[in-house]
Amino acid sequence: MADDLPLLLGLLLVAAAGTGTVLVRDPVRQSFVMSLFGLALATLFLLLQAPDVALSQLAVGSALTPLMVLLSVRKVRRRARGERREERE
Amino acid sequence: MNGWIAAGAALLACGVAPAAGCAATGPVRRRVPAQNLTSTFLSLVFLLLAQGFHRTAYTDTALVLSVLGPAGTLLYVRLLADELADRPPRPRVLRTVTTLSYLAVPAVLLPLCFITGPGRAMGKLLVIGALLVCGSWSAARAVTAAATAGHTIGAPVEGTDDG
Repeated sequence: MADDLPLLLGLLLVAAAGTGTVLVRDPVRQSFVMSLFGLALATLFLLLQAPDVALSQLAVGSALTPLMVLLSVRKVRRRARGERREERE
Repeated sequence: MNGWIAAGAALLACGVAPAAGCAATGPVRRRVPAQNLTSTFLSLVFLLLAQGFHRTAYTDTALVLSVLGPAGTLLYVRLLADELADRPPRPRVLRTVTTLSYLAVPAVLLPLCFITGPGRAMGKLLVIGALLVCGSWSAARAVTAAATAGHTIGAPVEGTDDG
């Protein structure tokens, strides 16, 4: 049981982060939870002794996915703001 | 389960989990420093696990995270600069977070360096430690810069921007 404790902890973190990602509605705040979910998954992969999978998960989860989400949110907001301005004019 | 893995699990439960909780809830001004602290602590957990599993190659994950963690934080600071400028983080919180990471890095790395002994592996550990400290410093500096930039611009300009 004591040997499985870190693995259980990793699984618990993944479950909590995954549930949190689904429950958060605002995309900006969701990107934070999603990057944490990526980090939790990388931890789980390392605990299962799969460092190569953990490496790729880190690269994708901690920087790339939040970047894409935040850039998309920025672009959508800008477009919405521009359309509002055009309507007023 | 040896002592290193137990230490890694303890840091995961007492360091990473609370920091991740702070990064997942609350306003953006609290989330950004907490996200950086989470990645710093997690990098140290990876180093402890690498020692616990007796696989020096596992330190590569910590090396990658020590580069990508602060990069992610700088990304958030850059793209959420408006929100950070509107409601800047308290200097006391920022200082506490930076001090915590400055204290945690040597507390984990010194025993690891002692057990590894002089050589290439120890050099790698020291590089990871330096990257973590530099990452925390640069992230704190970027957050402060974003907050002070908001003060100099002033509220009326922000207001017209939002409309």
